[in-house]
Amino acid sequence: MATNPDVRFTIDGREISVSPGTLVIEAARRQGIGIPSFCYYPGLALQAACRMCLVEVEKAPKLQTACTLVAAKGMVVRTDTPQIHQARKNMLEFLLTNHPLDCPVCDKGGECELQDMTFRYGADRSRFVEEKLHTPEVKWSNVVYYDAPRCILCFRCVRVCDEGMGVKALGVGQRGALSVIIPNRDDHLECVECGMCIDICPVGALTSGTYRYQTRPWELQHVPTVCTHCSNGCKTTLGVRNQQIVRANNRDLSGLNGDFLCVKGRFGFDFTYHPERLRQPLLRRNGQLEPASWEEALEHAAARLAAVRAESGPEAIGFLGSNRTTNEENYLLGCIARASIGTNNIDHHRTADYAGMITALAGPSGVFATMGELASAPAFLLVGNDPTEQNPLVAWQIRAALRHHGSRLYVINSRENPLRQKARLWLEVAPGREAAAVAALVTADVARPTSVLSAAQLSEWREAVATENDLVVLFGHALQGRAFTVLSQLAEMRAASGQRTRFMALGDYANSRGAADMGLLPGHLPGYASIENRAARQLYGQIWGASLSATPGLDTQQMLEAATTGQLKALWVVGSNPAQRLQRSISERLGKLDFLVVQELFLSDTARLADVVLPALCAYEKDGTMTNTAGEVQLLRKAADCMGPRSDFDILRILSHQLARHGAGNPIRLRTPEAAFAEIRQHVAGYDLSWVSLLAGGAEAARPVPPANGHAPYDVPAGTITSAGDSQFTSGSLSRYCTMIRSLDEADAHS
Amino acid sequence: MQLPPELEQKFQTLLGRYPVKRSALVPMALSAQDLFGFVSDELVTEIARRLEVNTLQVSETLSYYSMIRRARAGKYHVQVCTNVSCMLRGGHRILELAQKKLEIGHHGVTSDGMFSLEQVECIGACTGAPAMQVNYDYYENLTPALTAQLLSQFDQGRNPRPSTPLSGAVHERHPAEVPVISRLFGVPGSHTLEVYLQHDGYRGLERALRQLTPEQIIEEVKKSNLRGRGGAGFPAGMKWSFVPKQSAKPKYILCNADESEPGTCKDRPLMEMAPHQLIEGMVIAGRAVDAHRGYIYVRGEYRYVIDILDAAIAEAYAGGYLGKNILGSGFDFELFTHTGAGAYECGEESALMESLEGKRGYPRIRPPFPAVVGLYGCPTVINNVETLSSVPAILHRGGDWYAGLGSVKNGGTRLFCISGHVRRPGIYELPMGFNLRRMIEDVAGGITGGKRLKAVIPGGSSCPLLMAEESDVPMDFDSLAKAGSMLGSGGVVVIDEDTCMVDLARRIMHFYAHESCGWCIPCREGTAWMRKLLDRFHAGLGQAEDIPLLGELAKNMLGTTFCPLGDAAAMPTISIVKKWAHEFEEHLSGKCPYRPADVLAAAP
Repeated sequence: MATNPDVRFTIDGREISVSPGTLVIEAARRQGIGIPSFCYYPGLALQAACRMCLVEVEKAPKLQTACTLVAAKGMVVRTDTPQIHQARKNMLEFLLTNHPLDCPVCDKGGECELQDMTFRYGADRSRFVEEKLHTPEVKWSNVVYYDAPRCILCFRCVRVCDEGMGVKALGVGQRGALSVIIPNRDDHLECVECGMCIDICPVGALTSGTYRYQTRPWELQHVPTVCTHCSNGCKTTLGVRNQQIVRANNRDLSGLNGDFLCVKGRFGFDFTYHPERLRQPLLRRNGQLEPASWEEALEHAAARLAAVRAESGPEAIGFLGSNRTTNEENYLLGCIARASIGTNNIDHHRTADYAGMITALAGPSGVFATMGELASAPAFLLVGNDPTEQNPLVAWQIRAALRHHGSRLYVINSRENPLRQKARLWLEVAPGREAAAVAALVTADVARPTSVLSAAQLSEWREAVATENDLVVLFGHALQGRAFTVLSQLAEMRAASGQRTRFMALGDYANSRGAADMGLLPGHLPGYASIENRAARQLYGQIWGASLSATPGLDTQQMLEAATTGQLKALWVVGSNPAQRLQRSISERLGKLDFLVVQELFLSDTARLADVVLPALCAYEKDGTMTNTAGEVQLLRKAADCMGPRSDFDILRILSHQLARHGAGNPIRLRTPEAAFAEIRQHVAGYDLSWVSLLAGGAEAARPVPPANGHAPYDVPAGTITSAGDSQFTSGSLSRYCTMIRSLDEADAHS
Repeated sequence: MQLPPELEQKFQTLLGRYPVKRSALVPMALSAQDLFGFVSDELVTEIARRLEVNTLQVSETLSYYSMIRRARAGKYHVQVCTNVSCMLRGGHRILELAQKKLEIGHHGVTSDGMFSLEQVECIGACTGAPAMQVNYDYYENLTPALTAQLLSQFDQGRNPRPSTPLSGAVHERHPAEVPVISRLFGVPGSHTLEVYLQHDGYRGLERALRQLTPEQIIEEVKKSNLRGRGGAGFPAGMKWSFVPKQSAKPKYILCNADESEPGTCKDRPLMEMAPHQLIEGMVIAGRAVDAHRGYIYVRGEYRYVIDILDAAIAEAYAGGYLGKNILGSGFDFELFTHTGAGAYECGEESALMESLEGKRGYPRIRPPFPAVVGLYGCPTVINNVETLSSVPAILHRGGDWYAGLGSVKNGGTRLFCISGHVRRPGIYELPMGFNLRRMIEDVAGGITGGKRLKAVIPGGSSCPLLMAEESDVPMDFDSLAKAGSMLGSGGVVVIDEDTCMVDLARRIMHFYAHESCGWCIPCREGTAWMRKLLDRFHAGLGQAEDIPLLGELAKNMLGTTFCPLGDAAAMPTISIVKKWAHEFEEHLSGKCPYRPADVLAAAP
């Protein structure tokens, strides 16, 4: 099969070979030949506006911009001539004419591309003695400030907002040297406040409202870690000074999120130092929660738990895990529940049916799409969910695929959302009928119209989807339980015609997937092994030093029911807030428990009802691993510190020791998250991952296997798996403590 | 928003002209401004709604164009030109007079709302300099007294007769002239179909449609050696041949009628007096490349010319020269006018297309070129008014004939707008290669006031200037290129010995700084810097190092900008600094030897 041959050309005396269509600027950079540019930015429309990348091309009368020059056979390019050196100095001299001498106070100082280029290309002299055009800086929103004199008019911000984000809130006003960037509401911005414009700005023209004038970047320790909000797993680099997070941005660019970071990843860190942060354990004495020492609190908790176990049996105790704790912490919680206590009453707020998906679809490698793969996927079927709000990286990748590869988007949804505008086909269904629509698409008889799809729609959709040889199916909680049988059928049908199908479930939070993967489920052990699978029980029993129960546990709803009837006497809650989330007088039910312990960052509605409250560290303050919704595992790195709270890992580890002293189970010997992860890598199906790669900052995709004796998907009781339906400005229970994001949400509501 | 019926009608008409709604943006805004006096936020929202774009896209586009106002102006908006041709004939005194009489400055509005005043760039009345516009009407050959009189008349509610046609376009023919495309100038009713037909009108189209294949049409134009009359001088036939024969997309013929090059006012009389000639040229071009739709992009200031074109287009449709099955040939061609709104850069072919698509007039990355990827991404032929107006004669009388009128590789005749310090400023159609000195002394009657020639702008202000001793040169593309300058747009501006070349350089740089689109660093920052430097220098605060610096900055812009506007600003500047260096040195004393201490109002 003929392929386009590589193009051979010469650059700075070196003959190199590149694939057809490669820009000279890219070819050069890959060879380590630096060609400066401001306006050229991979992924955004070409401009050739800044003229910094001018190079010499043999036989061309003028210097050419490397950013628009496609490598051609036999081309001879020189980037290192005296003429080019002078051209770069000239361009910088032009640029610096109206640029203010703000370096001493400008936020960008020390990480400014203009500074770097001026230094590198020796533009040390300015002969400009005329008057500079000055306008004061303006505030466009709580997080975006614009300083026109500093602006070099590279238009990266305009392009990223328009092309990248699809929002188009920034434009260019006036003409010539009076040109300025303008916001969409004359004097302020009405946008999603993602902050992409701030980070992409090469200079200090756009600055962050949370960070400006606070510090110099070299005073910060930069720690790349994983965002604690949604389930997409974006890498966010926290700038820490004196143990406190001063800013978060995407300076790293090497994460699975590439260039992207949303408003939460960028501005959602101030909860870490919110004044209401719990810093001491609390014990309920005489009806009131009062501060206590760690010793007292943990001893009391362990003693009472052991007592309940002794008096009423393991089944009288339940555990609710978190969507935001690390894999290691989840693993420990599972161990405590099943080995130390001996119950399968363990669950968490499930936001997507990972278990159902993996049970039905896991098998051949590559059946689950990763975040990176989305950007070049040729076709998407999006069922339910609103990625623009709930899964911003997914939305960014889909937009990139549409823009760069002409990919097609098919949407089945009950509500309007921005991605629907870009869809080739969209089907509006009543809320809750998305699964029925998919089922009809796959199995219905064209001759017999269904209630969700007319015959015409069915034909149209079938025909369209049939043309897609490579389809990624994304879905939120709309598809669960038996819906996966249908998806499995779809995959098989397509595979028979040589067509590829990949899947991605879209859960809500930073470690929703990890919670499920690590077995915070009443019927599953880590790696989705069924608790009814004897071999699996024996394996984990051996590792954890106990005999594991085969009795299916209670899920969250059932546990709350059981609390009311008195069947469940004690509940241990880690980083979860059912009292806020669930309706129907949950507080009452929780109030009926004999004993409630809550590990939390804040005094949440659930924590207020507890007998013991244990202050926990958040994801930005500890080490461990998290798994994004696509199953990609990444390392957390401890960035900030908070005196008083302890990591959930430590709390659970120490709890196990206390419990052991009270005759409940064995102490957990894993002293650190690394040790726990080593055990996870060894035993949990799909987690046999490269530790080195994770250490280097990479993401490793878990490779789930169909669980042995895995049950066919079954009907999940209504309300068991529900998305919290967060927006770009909310993050579950953390929302009220993310002060800056709340202010943006309020401003957005009022504009 | 509820619109007055005539505006609603206009909006509907505009929307119907384009396959992409957004193209109607600027015309809609301008027609709304004509009615309401300015474009309000409410109108921006309404336009955005109708075009299905967001309000930011509308407001950012409108802010690019000089003619669009977001705040009310006076009932009579007085626009005084002070660019080169007008400057040389006292344009600044006209401005001063207007400022004094109206008691307002640049961008000012009188308290009774009757008048507003603006110092503007070249309005295309160079042979009638000094000139001004009041709203869309031209008033030429002004003197301070006449200007005062006109303003009084307006104040009394009497609208004085505007100058139409362009002063200097209709005159006694000089014997050296060869009237081909200007043969209709001065003929009463020349803009009508009836009169056009009496003067070999549509004969070229008949031959093209009935006797020739499209390839043969292109061959004929190639043979004629017709080169782009807008300024670049690219062979027209060759440009047409770049359009792919097969195309899944529709093709377009665009006429560049954005005539804004200072010193140039030849397309205006061509369109106002011979609109059918242009129409005929465009239909022939359409036939040659299999395009079935054309747009004439006319600068916004030429409103009355657009009205004349629209009327001629209507006549042509009625007469069967436009529309379906033209002359029974089976060939269809539709034609529309499209208004600009004040932006010289939109005369650059790719920026013109961006503007026609309803966006800010930024030029495009090339390659690809318009012939392959043009308007709406479709194959497009874009030519100047004069170029297209020359096509009918070429088809009627033959390419060889046309080529023979001119010099080697520079076929035909062209319109020269001779302005500045000459006794008979005017539009003259002369053969390509005609001697410049003879043009000045013989055809245009020599220098006014018996003075000596100092300098000539040979083809619009974007060309390197020629010294008097360099003016003995044939006026065609190749000869001028050899002489270190350019034929350009045909705008010949004659400069006498009493003109300050430093002031001229200053005013020229003001133009380019004002018109720079702002896309690329060297032009945006370079023109702004040089403008400030020249302002300071001519105001008496110059330093010795400013002189080599000026030349160097211009050289740093040359060849490095995104589009030729940067070169257009650099070339005249480099030539003035080099050839009249001594004048710069004289200014170091702090005084201008050519004029008294009162310095002219400069555009902000």
